[in-house]
Amino acid sequence: MKSRMIKFVTCICMVLLVGAFSAFAGEKPIKIGIVSPVSGNYGDHGKLERMGMTAALKQAGGKILGRPVVMVVADSETNPDIAARRARRLVEVDGCNFLMGSVSSSVASAISAVAAEKKVLYFATNGNSDSLNSDKASPYMFHVAPSMAMLVRGGGKYVANNLGKKWFYLTHDYSWGHSGTAWARKSAAEFGVEEIGEIKVPLGTRDFSSQLLQVRESGADVLVVTMAGFDNVALLKQLAEYQIYSKMKVWYTLMEFVDMWPLKPEQRQAYANVEVYWNENSKTRAFAEMLEKNNPDAPCPMPLDNGTYEGWLAMKILLAGIEKAGTADDVTAVIKAIEGLEIKDNMRKYPTKVRAWDHQVLTQIDLIKANPEATGPDMWEVIDEIDANKVARTREENPINVSISN
Amino acid sequence: MFLVASLIVNGIILGLIYATIALGFSLVLGVSGVLNFAHGILFALGAYMYWVLKDLMGFWPAMVGAALIVGVIGIIVERVLVRRIYGEDPLFGLVITMGFAMAVEQVLHMIFGAAAKTINPPEFAQGVLFIGDMIIPYYRLFVAGFCTVILGGTWLALNNTSFGAIVRAGMYDSEMVSALGHDLPMLRTIVFTIGTMIAAISGVLASSIWSLKPGMGAAFLMPSFLVVLIGGLGSIRGTILGGLIIGLTTSLMSLVIPRFVDIMPYVIMAVVVYFWPRGLLGKQNILE
Repeated sequence: MKSRMIKFVTCICMVLLVGAFSAFAGEKPIKIGIVSPVSGNYGDHGKLERMGMTAALKQAGGKILGRPVVMVVADSETNPDIAARRARRLVEVDGCNFLMGSVSSSVASAISAVAAEKKVLYFATNGNSDSLNSDKASPYMFHVAPSMAMLVRGGGKYVANNLGKKWFYLTHDYSWGHSGTAWARKSAAEFGVEEIGEIKVPLGTRDFSSQLLQVRESGADVLVVTMAGFDNVALLKQLAEYQIYSKMKVWYTLMEFVDMWPLKPEQRQAYANVEVYWNENSKTRAFAEMLEKNNPDAPCPMPLDNGTYEGWLAMKILLAGIEKAGTADDVTAVIKAIEGLEIKDNMRKYPTKVRAWDHQVLTQIDLIKANPEATGPDMWEVIDEIDANKVARTREENPINVSISN
Repeated sequence: MFLVASLIVNGIILGLIYATIALGFSLVLGVSGVLNFAHGILFALGAYMYWVLKDLMGFWPAMVGAALIVGVIGIIVERVLVRRIYGEDPLFGLVITMGFAMAVEQVLHMIFGAAAKTINPPEFAQGVLFIGDMIIPYYRLFVAGFCTVILGGTWLALNNTSFGAIVRAGMYDSEMVSALGHDLPMLRTIVFTIGTMIAAISGVLASSIWSLKPGMGAAFLMPSFLVVLIGGLGSIRGTILGGLIIGLTTSLMSLVIPRFVDIMPYVIMAVVVYFWPRGLLGKQNILE
């Protein structure tokens, strides 16, 4: 009995020693803290961006500079205070030099403040507010999502010329929604647009009947919507219920595939800006098929949505930056390497560029028209592919400089 | 003018829906003194059961089926979890039912996935009614009518049957009801099951308006709580009044100050509780 006990304890010690030696022998992993919604209004969007990040990491073989890369995920709950707390923990306790994620501009601002304080690099994904690279810009943050200036200018001209010039705004009542309406107003003179009205809707609203009754009576040609998430699934359904499409056209300044997918074909009649469409070309199609195969629990078929693409792009840019800098330990060197970086293999018509002075990532935007007849996931038709360089804010419009290269 | 009239009609419809969602919550709280925070997830379960059954058997049988399935789940929940905390601090009820709700939400997530699902209204209630410029979807009219039947039926049953008299007595003094020889545990099981089935039916009715998601119940739990606090604990009329106040406030506020739509029900609740701690139509109850 005693000898068996000694053998058992010896085996345990051997296993522990082998584990300990392996840890010393291997390279220290590069930890990337992902602060992303796992629950709440943007839970689906969070899942998609994490899928994109994982896909990019897998494509790179899970390593950079010979060191394994590990994603440490924390739920932001789409709450700025919680996100900031979790980001701080990822840096202080888990030792992450890099942070990624958000899905909400308010959350991105909160994480950015932590990144600046701790001098770690943060990639704001899927939050589109302009403030992220103007008044809230930081040398320690890159804004991967297109800003509302890019989105509104990108699609707005077509909408004004083809759909109507009397616009009514329906927006989520936080910085992203405000940003969309603010840019539409700024562009109104250029497009010759008249503002008919605006309703700001609190996050978490499920019933839009009262708002849509006012929209119907407004006499607008176009309802300009800046809303997303589960709220938006309910809104899209109620747009059809209250027969808004028979009164006016509906244009989303930004639409997520995952929000529109659950709807019946006849309920999908909106025009929208998107950051990518899975059936845009053969490369996006193949990527979406791979994502679908590897993620059976994805919230939609062909899950290459805005969030997925941004997550993928953020990870790709970070890995390219680390490789170019030749280090993952010197955050300043990585930031310098990323400033001005160009990603050509981005699956799109126009290459992606990382602008140095405002840390805005410039990536193609698509204007889509929903096909109400489509029954499968190929539910959109791309009307226009927009080069982000032509619609992004100029230095005169956004006179800041957060570059650390010059 | 048409717009204001439209918003008032819309507010009444919304109010009846909110009151029906809150009815089960109010009954359970009134009779058992349990803050049933599983009410929201039972609402969501009703919606999901309906989603599963509707294509197999059509609207009415699917609604009955969903209510029965969720009712059976309600009996199990009451027997296994809730029964243990009768007479204890209401906080225990809150914690245990909230824990159950979180677990079931994850199960729904695993079975039905994260993606939102939408359901079209039944064929007989599709389309819209126009009165001048006023537009009312037939389905919302149908839901308002159905909610009125549930609310009115429950009120009549409580006030005109011997069982209703026992339930009402239980709301004021459960020990006395027990001392008079009535089976109090059975009474509580029956009321919990009825509350559960009403939650499920509310979920079925709401699913064609607001879409489905595993976490959908949480969005309607707090309005239910507010309806009960405003209307008054243990009062069906209070629940209807509370629902109408929230519905009309939500609807009309969207015209005046849209961004205050969410805050106003809480402001009203604070004012009501300050001046009428038992709610507008509340009376002495089991929690006192």
